Amino acid sequence: MQLAKRPNKHRAVESSPNAIVLTTHDLCKSYGRGKQRFDAVKHVSLTLHQGEVLAFLGPNGAGKTTTIKMIAGLVRPDRGKVTIAGQDPHRHARALRNVGAVLEGNRNLYWRLTPEENLEYFGVLRQVPRKIAHRRGLELLARFDLEEKRNTPVQKLSRGMQQKVAIAVALIHNPQLVLLDEPTLGLDVEAGETVKTLVRQIAQEGRAILLTTHQLNVAEELSDRVAIIRRGRIIAEQPTEALLQEFSDSTYQLKFEGTLSWEQYCKITQLGATVDRAHITYAGAPEHLYTLLGALHPLPLISVHRDRADLTQVFLKLIKDTQDA
Amino acid sequence: MIDLLYVELKRTWIQFIRYPAEVIAGLIITASVFYGLFLSAKYMAGPSFAFGDRLDAVVVGYVLWTLNLYIINDVAINLQSEAQTGTLEQVFLSPFGAPRVFLARAIASLVLRFALISGVVVILMLLSGSRLAFPITLVLPFISLVMAGYGFAFMMGACALVFKRVQQVLGIVQFLLLFLLAAPFEESTGLMQYFRFGLPMIPSSGLLRDLMARNLGLDWVTYGLALLNGLAYLAIGLWIFHWAERMAKKRGSLSGY
Repeated sequence: MQLAKRPNKHRAVESSPNAIVLTTHDLCKSYGRGKQRFDAVKHVSLTLHQGEVLAFLGPNGAGKTTTIKMIAGLVRPDRGKVTIAGQDPHRHARALRNVGAVLEGNRNLYWRLTPEENLEYFGVLRQVPRKIAHRRGLELLARFDLEEKRNTPVQKLSRGMQQKVAIAVALIHNPQLVLLDEPTLGLDVEAGETVKTLVRQIAQEGRAILLTTHQLNVAEELSDRVAIIRRGRIIAEQPTEALLQEFSDSTYQLKFEGTLSWEQYCKITQLGATVDRAHITYAGAPEHLYTLLGALHPLPLISVHRDRADLTQVFLKLIKDTQDA
Repeated sequence: MIDLLYVELKRTWIQFIRYPAEVIAGLIITASVFYGLFLSAKYMAGPSFAFGDRLDAVVVGYVLWTLNLYIINDVAINLQSEAQTGTLEQVFLSPFGAPRVFLARAIASLVLRFALISGVVVILMLLSGSRLAFPITLVLPFISLVMAGYGFAFMMGACALVFKRVQQVLGIVQFLLLFLLAAPFEESTGLMQYFRFGLPMIPSSGLLRDLMARNLGLDWVTYGLALLNGLAYLAIGLWIFHWAERMAKKRGSLSGY
């Protein structure tokens, strides 16, 4: 549990000059009564700025979907407050004008309707005048490369195309906040890459994106910041890069060509490195790395890289640490 | 709100024309069931029994029952099917708020149902030999009847939001409705002649029978009470629906089915 209290010196929240789009303060939600009662979400506070992608990660049943639904006004919190662009969706339905959502599963659309019809329908449902919704729908279809399929019923589209239409529908009313719950789930590699590109573009337009996914490589690629939730409680929240740095050790891997002389070998091992043929592993002080590189002179270097943790390792470590605590 | 009505009408129509077989089958079944009931009643009453005005009254009662069945099931079935297909939460994300969206849906659905029920009326008149009158004043009690019907529909929708499975309740309501709409409460005596104004849809269905089957004019005082009845049931229905929405959000069960 000590991880949750880790001071975040490099938090994007503090350094970002962009406006705040979403804040959740102390959200709590319990289900059931008596002995059946369990706390799904405990004291969750998040902040999301314009143009920022927050990966909201956690194991199954950790409270991700409940939190997203509380943000979208679909589940009422027992305690705490949600503010989207200054408005509480639980008090003012018009706050939902600033929210677009692709919720978990593949049925965010009417399958008997075509993409064009879905876009017009949901645009009006989000209070966009019909003609503007229609025009904007066509623009989004063109942008998402779906023009040819605009008159094909959604049920006849591939899973990847359906997901692209669902994302287009989430953008039809030009929202400031986009909630994406498992947007790449069940997609093939190509469709997954397309969705990732779209998510990047949407963030570049200045929208704030709250993304949940179990595909941690996707989260690592797309997110500016990561929040990890376990058993309803946030156990870590940091900029993605800072979190990865924190969990990366300072071991360097060096590859070179040729054979070391006895003198070179002695110099290198004296610095604490281990040599395995043309491969050196160095875990000593970073300032001595250049001495080591000097010792290799004049052999040609193939690569030098620092071991870096990936989000999967960080996630598993954090989850395990809090389990042990 | 006009745009919302338009797109709801368009959505309802598109979903209907892309799979028309189920609706046409419903139309044929409705007409066939009535014809079966009509033949059975004729057989039991004997060949010498003349239905006369009563036949017309029965046709009106049956048609109203069929229309109200459509109406009352509309919101609840819609909610259940959208919860199953997964679009319900997207609908609840509308800044219009769920009651307004579902009211627009109800009106759109009614327009389509009304066209279909007109077809049923023609088929029933051909099958039974009934000759119904269609004065323009018919529209007024029809509106108050539909308002009360949708009041009930929103109550059923509220049940669907809170309890999820409402097929059993809807089944029971069908027979309750048949009793309410087919029985001529307007001919009742004693306390019931006053009490009937508080029962859902009764004053409107009585007026419709007067206009269509008995060739009577519209009684404006009775119509005033029928309109009040319709408005009151619609308001109560919407209020209960709004309460059920809050309850479902509190339980976190909006999308469950």
